[in-house]
Amino acid sequence: MNPERTTLLQRIVVGVIFLFAGLLFLRHAMPERHDTDFDIAAFVALPVQEGGRIKPADTVARTTLLVIANRTTVRDGDERLGAAEWFTEFSLDPARAVERPVFRVEHPEVAGILGIPADERMYVSLAEILPHFDTLRAQWESIPEESQLRSSYEAALAKLRDAVGLYDSLSHAYTGPPVLGRADTGLRMLRRALNDRTNLDPDSEEARTVENALSLFAGHFTRAARSTALSTIPPLEGGDEPLAEWSNLGSVLLEATQTGELDPLAVTYAEMAAAYRAGDAAEFNSRIKDAANLLAARGHAPAGKIAFERFFNQLSPFTYAAVVYLLVFLAAAASWTVWPRVFANTAFRLMAAAFAVHTFGMFAHAYLMGRPPVTNLYTSAIFVGWGTVLLCLFLEKRFRNGLAAAAAAPVGFCTLIIAYHLSFTGDTVEVMRAVLDSNFWLATHVPTVTIGYSANFLAGSLAIVYLLRDRIFGGLPAPSARLLEGMVYGVVCFALLFSFVGTVLGGIWADQSWGRFWGWDPKENGALMIVLWNALILHARWAKLAAPTGIMQLAIFGNIITAWSWFGTNMLGVGLHAYGFMDAAFFWLLAFVISQLACIAGGWLPRLRFFNVRHEAATQTGAAEKLSGQSTAG
Amino acid sequence: MKQIQKFFSSIRLTVLLLAVSTVLVFFGTLDQVHYGIFHTQQRYFESLFVVWSYPVQWPGHERLGWIELPLPGGYLVGPLLVINLVFAHFRYYRSGWRKSGIILIHAGLVLLLVGQLWTQLRQKEYFMWLAEGESNNYVESFHTDELVVIDRSNPERDRVYSWPVEAFSRGQTELRHPGLPFRLRVVGFAQNAAIFPLDQGPPNTPDLNVTRGIGADRNLTFIQIAPTFREGERNVTTALVDVVTPDGPRGRWIVSNVFRQRDPMREFFPRQTFEVDGREFEVALRFERRYLPESVKLREFRHDRYPGTDIPFNFSSEVTLGDPGSDDARRALIYMNHPLRYDDLTFYQASFAEGDTMSMFQVVGNPARWIPYWSTLIITLGLLLQFGLSFISRFYLTPAAVPVPVAAESLTATAARPADRQPAAGPAK
Repeated sequence: MNPERTTLLQRIVVGVIFLFAGLLFLRHAMPERHDTDFDIAAFVALPVQEGGRIKPADTVARTTLLVIANRTTVRDGDERLGAAEWFTEFSLDPARAVERPVFRVEHPEVAGILGIPADERMYVSLAEILPHFDTLRAQWESIPEESQLRSSYEAALAKLRDAVGLYDSLSHAYTGPPVLGRADTGLRMLRRALNDRTNLDPDSEEARTVENALSLFAGHFTRAARSTALSTIPPLEGGDEPLAEWSNLGSVLLEATQTGELDPLAVTYAEMAAAYRAGDAAEFNSRIKDAANLLAARGHAPAGKIAFERFFNQLSPFTYAAVVYLLVFLAAAASWTVWPRVFANTAFRLMAAAFAVHTFGMFAHAYLMGRPPVTNLYTSAIFVGWGTVLLCLFLEKRFRNGLAAAAAAPVGFCTLIIAYHLSFTGDTVEVMRAVLDSNFWLATHVPTVTIGYSANFLAGSLAIVYLLRDRIFGGLPAPSARLLEGMVYGVVCFALLFSFVGTVLGGIWADQSWGRFWGWDPKENGALMIVLWNALILHARWAKLAAPTGIMQLAIFGNIITAWSWFGTNMLGVGLHAYGFMDAAFFWLLAFVISQLACIAGGWLPRLRFFNVRHEAATQTGAAEKLSGQSTAG
Repeated sequence: MKQIQKFFSSIRLTVLLLAVSTVLVFFGTLDQVHYGIFHTQQRYFESLFVVWSYPVQWPGHERLGWIELPLPGGYLVGPLLVINLVFAHFRYYRSGWRKSGIILIHAGLVLLLVGQLWTQLRQKEYFMWLAEGESNNYVESFHTDELVVIDRSNPERDRVYSWPVEAFSRGQTELRHPGLPFRLRVVGFAQNAAIFPLDQGPPNTPDLNVTRGIGADRNLTFIQIAPTFREGERNVTTALVDVVTPDGPRGRWIVSNVFRQRDPMREFFPRQTFEVDGREFEVALRFERRYLPESVKLREFRHDRYPGTDIPFNFSSEVTLGDPGSDDARRALIYMNHPLRYDDLTFYQASFAEGDTMSMFQVVGNPARWIPYWSTLIITLGLLLQFGLSFISRFYLTPAAVPVPVAAESLTATAARPADRQPAAGPAK
């Protein structure tokens, strides 16, 4: 085989792979299409205030569905609604939205309460939940306060409670509460009552009736004002100050019952909703333009950062990168068996492409937060994968053999999947708690420690590749084995440097803000364990206490320690770094630990070496020629 | 001797110690769930040995409860690591720039470990609650208590006689001082107590025959209960004391660290005072205090939230330092990540209460706080030097690592050179 030439078949295969990746990117980057005349896109582009920051309604739509349904689409029979379509209906036509099956119910006992056969479907609508509300409420009262103490049934109950609570807290953002049973009559009646009050003789019988009606309205509006967490109406002046508080519809209506004056934005929303329910697309679209203009006049045009956030949402760069990382892994693994050079190059280029999108996503997210890239668990997952792939790109650039790519791509993929699941808890662009408010340390300590995690996962993953190939798939020719040993060694050195420096920077931050350098807090201990373990691997290697297989096993154990430090310590609920207990995550952490222990145990198994004969030759040409350089140059 | 030297300098020992440290830190983290950080720290990292036992709260405790794991504590592993390092240094030391990184790393490590030991021995943690407009000239310990007698006879200045609780919790019962016209006899002591009125207790509640102070006024008694180690909880340390003058006993008091005069959301208790020889004294068991040279006054506490949420946007306390009423008071703003350093103490914003009108500072004194800075600087330099050197030599100097294109290029380049020269040589001929 001549390694310099690519055959036509090879070109076609590679071409198809890149075409797929390219088309997938276009699908992500192109604006979403909605099969309707209603300008849904313009509606979800409108800015709102929720969770302490201003964002497009689109973000609320997606995060809400992620939290209550754990996905961003709604399937109702044959109908399929995107997040934007569902949210528009939910906000403007609540009576219709109540029938949509959006609540994900997995636990059979909870499904049992709702009278739904759990094995048939997982999604229920609010209309199906409401008849069982009294039973549910009785059950909700017995859920323990601390999440550690909850059984799986209680956790599932709590999840449903929170989902229903979230649904309720968003439902009166654009349409007022149903007064006298009907949503669309409310505003008309309010206006009439306000009008009558100014025109009627205050001592007349009619005036008293009007006052009674207004106080009845006020009661409804007060409840809506209290329960609504989504504010849609910015103040008329000074709305551009960072801590300026927007009003929700309920409080604006409540104010109207006292002052007699209705905020024009509230009126526009009501007209928009009426047009939506009446099916009048032209009217709806023109009311949205009015709303956008009114918002713009108060300093909140649906443009700039708000528009960028919408683009970021629909691009969903991390989903794209995750899919491509999967492709990278397949290509890299293929390079060990067929067409080593072609597939190694393909893997490298795909990885560079996915990395570019991943990088864009990471910095876009940081821009939206107005913070350095790593600020919470979600962003740390994004960053760990990013760091691993970055290190791997250096290795692959130097030794184009698909080994590092095969090791890093699964880490990139898994961390992005972890991030996706972390996003089920709500908006990932969170406001920053005061205790962490220090951009300097967020930009130094946190990324350094996190790169340390990346390097440890890369070392562990490389070690798994080593053991897998050495024990099971084809066997590892000596030059490749030496190369992998060198890579693991180098990456562990790198990991030690960054883990140590990161941990120390954390200590300095702690000293600067809490007056003590080291407090034996779980997160600090986790970081210390990583440093100790890296030092142990290096000393074991220098003292030749462990053969290459032993070093690889130690490096795989480093995966467990890193996972513990990253997630396990947060599950303890102790100390200044605790961000909250995650019960579902505990299961996955345990599964990960077991899988890693299995890999370590694999190192003691006799060599199986399937596909032995053929692939030995292939890898020889793949890795050995790169390593020595002599075979082609000579 | 050779044998000992060989043992203490071996890298096997290093690897073993590193492994043990990792395990120690792991279990020392796990136990924090049940014992809190402070107590776990003492058990694991400030001890010679520790035994981890299968927690009662874990599933399957009925069958697995017998599992125990003895481990060497921090005070054994730490010094061994230092000894190992020093011995290894003399055994393996070869001069030369290639090893300079290792030496820096290890020197920095020894400094770091020694600094940590010093910190653990000397670091003190206190707190201070202040309401807006209030001022205070002492901080109180988070963990330790003291029994005090305060001589109030001088209107200008109180004189405080203090005994750490450890003194009598270990059995010393007679407390005396030449400045006091009486001695204290500790008749009863509980590290953690339940205090309740005698008539509301269960049957057979012991009558402690309290004759003076809060205990007598409210007819109180107390019993010992199991000490708590949970994070954020504090033991109700309580003692029963007799005041004995040369003329005979003057009465019996219950003193307890919950009989406090100031604290948010707590009952306020009167001071327990008495007279001997016409001088007024107060007796109390209280959180150990450290007095400051000046008073700290809280002028204003601010707590802003993100709009529409309860998520804190900032906390800050504006304080002044100085003698009460003096004009040359120094102003300071204490807020997140910006503590106040004063009198070798660091005051940082830790909590708040009473509808954002009270502020709590955590106050830490650590004489060794600069050591980690220096040691980590040294270690980081060492790591960079060591890995940088080996990285460069591995990836750029070793011939095996030279990639294909470079080798091919250089071959063609050498081949091309003579040809390049020919045109120049041509006309000269």
